Amino acid sequence: MTERGHIPESRQREKPRADLQWIGKSMKRVEDPRLLVGKGIYADDINEPEMAHAAVLRSPHAHARIVSIDVSKAQELPGVLCAMTGADAAKVCDPLPTWASPPVLQAVIADDRVRHVGEAVAAVAAVDRYIAEDACDLIEVEYEPLPPVVDPEEALTSTGDAVLHPERGDTNIGLERKLTFGPVEEDFAAADLVIERRIRWPRSGGQPLETVGAVASFDDGAGRFTIQCNTSMYNYCGWMIASTLRVAPHKLNIVPTLAGGSFGSKMFVHKVPVLAAVLARAVGRPVKFMEDRIDNTTSCDNHASDRVYYAKLALKRDGTLLSLKTRIIDDYGAYLQFGVGQHGNALSQCVGPYRINSVEVDLAAVLTNKCQQGAYRGFGSEVANFVIERLVDAAADELGIDRIALRRQNFIQPDQFPYLIPTGNMYDSGNYQAVLDETLKLADLEGWRAKQAEARKEGRYIGIGVATCQERSVFSATEFWMWNLEPGVEWTSSPDGVSVKIDPTGKAFVTLHSPFWGNSPETVAAQVLAEQLTIDPADIEITYSDTDQGLNSTGPGGSRFTVMVTGAIVGAAGKIREKLLRIAAHLMEADVRDLTLQDGAVHVKGVLDMKMSIAELADKAHYYRLSMPEDLDLTSGLDATYVYDHPVTTLPDPDERHMGIFYPIMGHSCHIPVVEVDVETGQVHFLHYAAVHDCGTMVNPMTLEGHIRGGTVNGIGTALFEEFSYDEAGQLTTALWTDYLIPTIKESPADIVVGHVETPSPFTEYGVKGGGEGGRMGGPPAIAAAIEDALKPLGVTIDSLPLPPSKLRALIRDAQARAA
Amino acid sequence: MKPARFRYLRAASVNDALQALAENPDAQILAGGQSLIAMMNLRLVKPACLIDINRISNIGYIDEDGDGVAIGALARHNDVKHSPLIRERCPLLTEAYESIAHHTVRNRGTLGGNLCHADPSSETPAVMVATGATLMLQSLRGQREVGAEDFFLGTYETARRQDEMLTEIRLPGRRTDGWAFAEISNRHGDFAIAVIATTLRIEDGRCEAARVVASGVGEHAARLEPAEEALIGGPIDDARLDAAAAAAAGAVDPHSDSHADAAYRRDAIAALTRRTVRRAAARCD
Repeated sequence: MTERGHIPESRQREKPRADLQWIGKSMKRVEDPRLLVGKGIYADDINEPEMAHAAVLRSPHAHARIVSIDVSKAQELPGVLCAMTGADAAKVCDPLPTWASPPVLQAVIADDRVRHVGEAVAAVAAVDRYIAEDACDLIEVEYEPLPPVVDPEEALTSTGDAVLHPERGDTNIGLERKLTFGPVEEDFAAADLVIERRIRWPRSGGQPLETVGAVASFDDGAGRFTIQCNTSMYNYCGWMIASTLRVAPHKLNIVPTLAGGSFGSKMFVHKVPVLAAVLARAVGRPVKFMEDRIDNTTSCDNHASDRVYYAKLALKRDGTLLSLKTRIIDDYGAYLQFGVGQHGNALSQCVGPYRINSVEVDLAAVLTNKCQQGAYRGFGSEVANFVIERLVDAAADELGIDRIALRRQNFIQPDQFPYLIPTGNMYDSGNYQAVLDETLKLADLEGWRAKQAEARKEGRYIGIGVATCQERSVFSATEFWMWNLEPGVEWTSSPDGVSVKIDPTGKAFVTLHSPFWGNSPETVAAQVLAEQLTIDPADIEITYSDTDQGLNSTGPGGSRFTVMVTGAIVGAAGKIREKLLRIAAHLMEADVRDLTLQDGAVHVKGVLDMKMSIAELADKAHYYRLSMPEDLDLTSGLDATYVYDHPVTTLPDPDERHMGIFYPIMGHSCHIPVVEVDVETGQVHFLHYAAVHDCGTMVNPMTLEGHIRGGTVNGIGTALFEEFSYDEAGQLTTALWTDYLIPTIKESPADIVVGHVETPSPFTEYGVKGGGEGGRMGGPPAIAAAIEDALKPLGVTIDSLPLPPSKLRALIRDAQARAA
Repeated sequence: MKPARFRYLRAASVNDALQALAENPDAQILAGGQSLIAMMNLRLVKPACLIDINRISNIGYIDEDGDGVAIGALARHNDVKHSPLIRERCPLLTEAYESIAHHTVRNRGTLGGNLCHADPSSETPAVMVATGATLMLQSLRGQREVGAEDFFLGTYETARRQDEMLTEIRLPGRRTDGWAFAEISNRHGDFAIAVIATTLRIEDGRCEAARVVASGVGEHAARLEPAEEALIGGPIDDARLDAAAAAAAGAVDPHSDSHADAAYRRDAIAALTRRTVRRAAARCD
């Protein structure tokens, strides 16, 4: 035990190996055939007999009291089954789930007060969506406007009518705390230089083509809900929906549908399923509620981090990094669904890949009249990456040290892993020099430096950025509550389960207890089970459980899935393999220790032709138990379940000297974009882009590269275009995709050259690490650095995103004016 | 995002459509629907009646018209974009189409519908004004011609009367030698933040005629006459480019929105003026 905590023993069973058959192969996706031809069943594809359709009347005000609401005209419209107000909903429904402590109360339909534009004010169920929307137009609401709180720094001092949740006190600060890890003051006192920056990270969010949707029904006889929904934490905390609906958890079955391109946006959806369920119970018919785009952008569960950083990096004249201090104001919007879990997350890798001795984080989570925050690719850690990388670049410039050299100088070295950072989180393994070297090779840095010099002579502005970023994976539940003064929920487990069955003919069935959410869960499961049982992935069928059948499973999120399902399958397959060997030992009259499973059959070691296939053994296991000798532990059938616990996690120190190990499976990446900036128009063009990721042992390089490339374009969106932008009145001016600008292929590099380094985790099965958050973790700081490098002759500093042409041109205009 | 209730009429002929327009003063014509349907789904517009002209045969033509081109009301963007006749006789329009919308939108959207919609940041009105196109408007009362400069009156506002249908767009033959189109949008294919369409005639090294037309920076596409005046009367040299760019920026009074502020639009107009004039002049050689 040290100041930073202790490192438990590894529970790894399967070592990384070179002779793997399926893991590491770019196998085509199991999901693709049905999805690519449009045969996947998504929430909106579900139609039940007598199904009604819901629409929601949304607040046009950012902040107002609801003086009166009259749904009578809507109620009278032919085809309308129910028009429900917040007061009606409150009679049958408790507040929505929250991890905040003390809770921030949130109703599925606002009752006395609206707190952001787009908040639900009334809901209608009708025979079709058209009529439901017509009915919304007939609802009369009288509002008494309250002062809108839009600027996060102004929210720090709100009082009176500007306070969103007066029951929590006369303040809009949801939570304010300072955490100190290590000798921060001593380190700052010892510093030769302190770099200070105000950094602004913009509010964006996941943009799934498929919005959140649910089809709910209520069986009056059984007193039981069934909700089909594209949610993903349903087996972990789906029961919370039941408590909101005031039924016992076993009176609610959540059936997952395919979920399109979530990137976190469907991590634990709460408003949509609750709304559909409340209406279904009220009208006695199944109800479908599918968010439309404006429903989603104005009132989804998942706007993302919206932060102001006042950051200080202390260092020695020789470039040694010492300590990091940040004051953070995070604009959480009107509610706190995950508490300030995004800042638990950010503590996992806030020092980047560098040896930094101490850290202070002074956080104010403010409540404003905007949509709530939730999960989005990075969950807050991508912001920490941006901040540390901008500070390191600034430090290098200030010291006159090459930006790459300063990084190399401060990297945690390969022989220092596993490494505890000041916050207590562990970096399980890594080789940052190797990733950087590989990226430099792919990027042709020297060649581009020469081209940059040539271009400058012609008055063209080419820039090269380098970012070396952490890519933590496999969160444990402590991240949701570690910041809370009174923890409230204090979960320590965040496991994932799987069920595996071999049928009498030898075919394998895997039941996942997490949903499909746009990634490749079936492909991963098939590859790992094929590896474990030495069978063909084509002989494996993958299905998804509902909550009635479901095992404890946290679900995808925080780049967990591949690591966790691999662990679960290794556990379940181990049980099956053991049984196969035991049956084979009986049937071939051999000693179990002499048997081995390979090529889909159990062989007697060293005896050619002494073998039984899995199909033969499965047949015996299912139907011929009595043909085997007496063996009290041997039962018919061939199946196993396994709940795999987090591979390595510890609890926070009671005195909060550290927060324990909570996000330890540490990937790493280096991004090197080359851009050209048109200084007259502020437009940015990518000339080249190289990205190398180290996600440990790769399960499927093809799908991983998809994450890297797609994530990089995602990062381009954050860096250059995307913003949920609220004006002074609290109106969301970018609620439509004509205004919220997602980059297309035309705004992307012609190619993103991808490379890999594999540093296997010593803690996970086969050494796999997560890589789902991909390029978005490293793209934004790299792109900002490249733009800054391009504009170095003008002296432009980049500390705020996004940088669409107008904003970048404004920085250039200011710099030109300063120079003139 | 469902439209409010509306009546739907399908016209079998132009006369049919004109009849329906005369009988339904609250009607809108549905051509490609790429703007109208989206606005209806947002309930930004709630027309009581739609007159669908998509089944009318023979109004999607792109034909020779003297030394110019006549384009029918239902010619789809992609047909115009890929027309060899347009490329030969109105290459400015062909060049503009490199910046207009996306393939699937251009498959359905029509040039005529786009002009009648008169979005202030649309590209095609700038081309119409720069080339001096004529728009043919027809109603049961008869037919009239309106020059492009007189057609665009304001945001979503044109000289087309409620009972009129735009039946044909007439592009003149090339009266000037140089042409260039340039646009800035945040993403390729988006509505423009700023557009400049330029046409030039240079004789003996002297700029004799110029049109510099802006879009995206006012209520409708419009000529920037101070910029044109700065170009005419001498060679297109750096001094004239600077003067034209500055004059162009001074001639617009742009708005700010979430895509760009006014200062940016002004900078963009200056940059685009310089670039299009330079390119147009080079094409005169």
